Amino acid sequence: MAPQGVRPGGVLSPGAPPAQTDGKKQKGRAHMSTNRHVLGWLQAAPLAAILLAFLIAPIVMIVIVSFWGATEFSIYPAFQFDNYEFLFGSPVTYRVFLATFKYALITWALTLVIGFTVAYFLAFHVRSLTMQVALFLICTIPFWTSNIIRMISWIPFLGRNGIANQTLISWGVIDEPLEWLLYSDFSVLLAFVHLYTLFMVVPIFNTMMRIDKSLLEAARDAGASGFQTLVHIIIPLTKPGIMIGTIFVVTLVMGDFITVRFMSGSQRANVGRLISNDIGLLQYPSAAATAVVLLCTVLIVIAILLRFVNIRKEL
Amino acid sequence: MTKLAKPKAGYTRRALLRTGGAALAASALPAPMLWAQDTKDIVLRQFGTGVSNLNDVANKVKEDLGFTLEMTALDSDSVTQRAATQPDSFDIADIEYWICKKVWPTGNLQAMDTSRIANYDKIVGIFRDGKLTPESEIAQGTAPHTVGFVDGPGGTTFADSETGWMTLIPTIYNADTLGIRPDLIGRPIRNWSELLNPEFQGKASILDISSIGIMDMAMVCESMGEITYGDKGNMTREEIDQTMAIFTEAKRNGQFRAFWKTFDESVNLMASGEVVIQSMWSPAITAVKSRGIPCVYQPLEEGYRSWGGGIGLSNSLSGMELDAAYDYINWYLSGWVGGYLMRQGYYSAVPETSKAFMSENEWGYWFEGKEATDVITSPGGDALAQAGDVRDGGSFYDRMGAVACWNAVMDENQYMVRKWNEFIAA
Amino acid sequence: MDRRPRSFYVLAAFFGLFVLFLYGPILTIGILSFQGPQGGLTFPMNGVSLYWFRDLFEEQAVGDIWGAFRRSFALGLIVMVITVVVSVMAGLAFRKRFAGSAILFYAAITSLVIPSILVSLGVGLIFNQLGLKVHWASSGLGSQLTWTLPFGLLIMFAVFNRFDKSYEEAARDQGATSWQTIRYVVLPIIAPSLIGVALFGFTLSYDEFARTLLTAGSYNTLPLEIFGMTTNVTTPVIYALGTLTTLFSFAIIAVFLLAVWIMGKRRARLGSDAGQGV
Repeated sequence: MAPQGVRPGGVLSPGAPPAQTDGKKQKGRAHMSTNRHVLGWLQAAPLAAILLAFLIAPIVMIVIVSFWGATEFSIYPAFQFDNYEFLFGSPVTYRVFLATFKYALITWALTLVIGFTVAYFLAFHVRSLTMQVALFLICTIPFWTSNIIRMISWIPFLGRNGIANQTLISWGVIDEPLEWLLYSDFSVLLAFVHLYTLFMVVPIFNTMMRIDKSLLEAARDAGASGFQTLVHIIIPLTKPGIMIGTIFVVTLVMGDFITVRFMSGSQRANVGRLISNDIGLLQYPSAAATAVVLLCTVLIVIAILLRFVNIRKEL
Repeated sequence: MTKLAKPKAGYTRRALLRTGGAALAASALPAPMLWAQDTKDIVLRQFGTGVSNLNDVANKVKEDLGFTLEMTALDSDSVTQRAATQPDSFDIADIEYWICKKVWPTGNLQAMDTSRIANYDKIVGIFRDGKLTPESEIAQGTAPHTVGFVDGPGGTTFADSETGWMTLIPTIYNADTLGIRPDLIGRPIRNWSELLNPEFQGKASILDISSIGIMDMAMVCESMGEITYGDKGNMTREEIDQTMAIFTEAKRNGQFRAFWKTFDESVNLMASGEVVIQSMWSPAITAVKSRGIPCVYQPLEEGYRSWGGGIGLSNSLSGMELDAAYDYINWYLSGWVGGYLMRQGYYSAVPETSKAFMSENEWGYWFEGKEATDVITSPGGDALAQAGDVRDGGSFYDRMGAVACWNAVMDENQYMVRKWNEFIAA
Repeated sequence: MDRRPRSFYVLAAFFGLFVLFLYGPILTIGILSFQGPQGGLTFPMNGVSLYWFRDLFEEQAVGDIWGAFRRSFALGLIVMVITVVVSVMAGLAFRKRFAGSAILFYAAITSLVIPSILVSLGVGLIFNQLGLKVHWASSGLGSQLTWTLPFGLLIMFAVFNRFDKSYEEAARDQGATSWQTIRYVVLPIIAPSLIGVALFGFTLSYDEFARTLLTAGSYNTLPLEIFGMTTNVTTPVIYALGTLTTLFSFAIIAVFLLAVWIMGKRRARLGSDAGQGV
């Protein structure tokens, strides 16, 4: 991945016009390469500086603080493993990490199925480009409103006396309100799917739009059924989009702390909530230790996912 | 007076306040031009919970005292966090007494000279020697007077008697108990133990603020007869473990519908019928009632869990800002805010000054526990009680006299906090 | 055109349900925001009125919605400008395949996938330990950039992946300096995509919650204020706010779409102005 990662996208990207002479010219200009590196760094400097100050430094800080000690109101520098000992010594930690994976996995599966189906419909069944763009916009518009408001808007819908229960009761489907609609794993997952399916739709739709339609015709001419075309051509070619969507959904769900709090009425927990609870209780070192473990987990998951896709190339 | 030089103007004003009483002075005395212009530019940043960080108060301050009070309302944990870790972000901390125990050692607050507090002598005994009446017994927990005084301006340890240097000026307090929906429960509730009664499975709630929640838990466990505490306000590790074990089991069995962090969440839970019995605060009850939904702040045999809030001054306050802050404190205790808060069901630290800002009917209903003679409305104008209604729990002395424990920070606080986090995550 | 297969109708129905799923809650909120003055947060409706919208424009018991809105709007604009400029520069840089670009790339990816609360916590801790004041325009701004910049960068990758290098070659062959090439050839061609980056930058910032949670200081941004309201407000005024912010987001999108449309028009009329300045 690493060497490909730095290759300019134009060369390999299927959608780009052929960059015929690029390779040769670069070689011919070898003497300019120092200049190129310097200029490159100059142009990348603002990005590098911002990431250094607000990403790398905070991570380093979190790692350092995770070894510090805390009193009930302040933190003090130290080098101790107490925080990690407590973290790994508590059965709750494992349960919570497990719950986090559970949320991530289920949300991923649901958003993938829904996202893929929606993207498939948009890309292959809607025929005019204008219509495609219009329907695509309809899908994206809710994304631009406050996440928190979108989340809490489920509460009047799902509550014990909410619309869902009242409707079901008036239809005679149920006699007693369904308790598990709100403040449960169900409502948490529902909110996740609601908030994050779009992150699956967009990249999958993007890659699907780049599939050469003549390939599909060729498949049909060769006698492939719609299902065969889907399995043998569309899914393999859509894999990069699926991977990018997966990365988004998995990291968003694993890092979440607010959806779980709102939708479970604080009855369920994931790692993010463990961290935010600690922060709320001023236990920064303990929060930092949990954060370090979470970060490692997320990065490992992402590293595995990146094995399957070259992000830069596939955009 | 107009001849006075700028820096001294604040002092003169203060002396006036001390003799004349804040409200009177603030509204009746024409302030000298020079002084008024200076004060107008003063901005004091106050933060605290939504309970008392009300924009109405800021507006009234602007009107009466001339300076600007910027209010930031946060939840209890964030309040502790800001008071302890961001001393630059505030001038006035509106915090609870148990938070004070945590925050004071950080040195972020400065002690206040009680001789500059006009109504100091009228502050109720709870905040001075700890006794509501001379015969009262002091309840368990972090009673306000135990963290209310330090030895001197720079004192770092709490004094056990009145020293003339206060950590917080008490502003607001109440006795808390369980709130219930009588219409949905349909039978009398008399004990704290009812919170874990399987009858209310999936319809109970408790607050997710560790220091307060643990006290409610302790009241419940004690009432169930499961645990006898040495001191609920200062539990041992074993007591904490036992308490948490009982509640964790209840949580796993689905006893709780949700946990709440700010009192308005409890309003929504109760009003929507998601919950029928839960830990609750007084204004939450009135908020539910104001929608025409029956809700009772149920007095229980074991007594109340009480709390008190006060105003602390940032250590960085000095000069005119500090003078303005003292003006503000004197104004706070002079009655208007007290009346405003009492009409929501809280108590004022200086009840007698608040009386002037309440109608006889209101005073009778809220403070004396008498039958309302007319409709009782909230400061916002919603009807809270009709003629003939009596306040749940009765009079001030009935309620504050039955306090079983105060919100507290215990020696094993850090252990408790970690256990609490486990409980929430369990 | 051949006849629609049956699968079309099945998928169309699925799509319809999906849209309903996306919009259902927003519609619920929209309807509930028109509650009568005595209405609560849940159905049934207690009369129909604009009461809560009016209420929104009056002072709330706690907090300061409009101050928060102004701050969020200002912060969004600052983030937007920085994101566009920095992303374009970085996008150009990455085309040069400079030494160490892989590291920077992975840093950007990390920035994208790191749980937001970690950034908030880390930045908060650093400011705290250095004795600096957290403020939405300093620590808050920086934290938000760690979220918007990777997005901007990825969009720039997508843009340059589709960029026809022969335009640059042509400009260079005609003697344009590299600055002139960028200014008069590259930038005009990628301009429409920059609108996309700007839109992303603004809305991601405008809606960012977790990264500003511990880094905003004394003054709340709008999402923090909304978060506060969810716990401090017991009336439909929060739904009114939700409805209004949704409408505001629509307005922003409309403005951006209009900009794209006008640009497209202009372009169609004038032809590409790439290279005109050389």
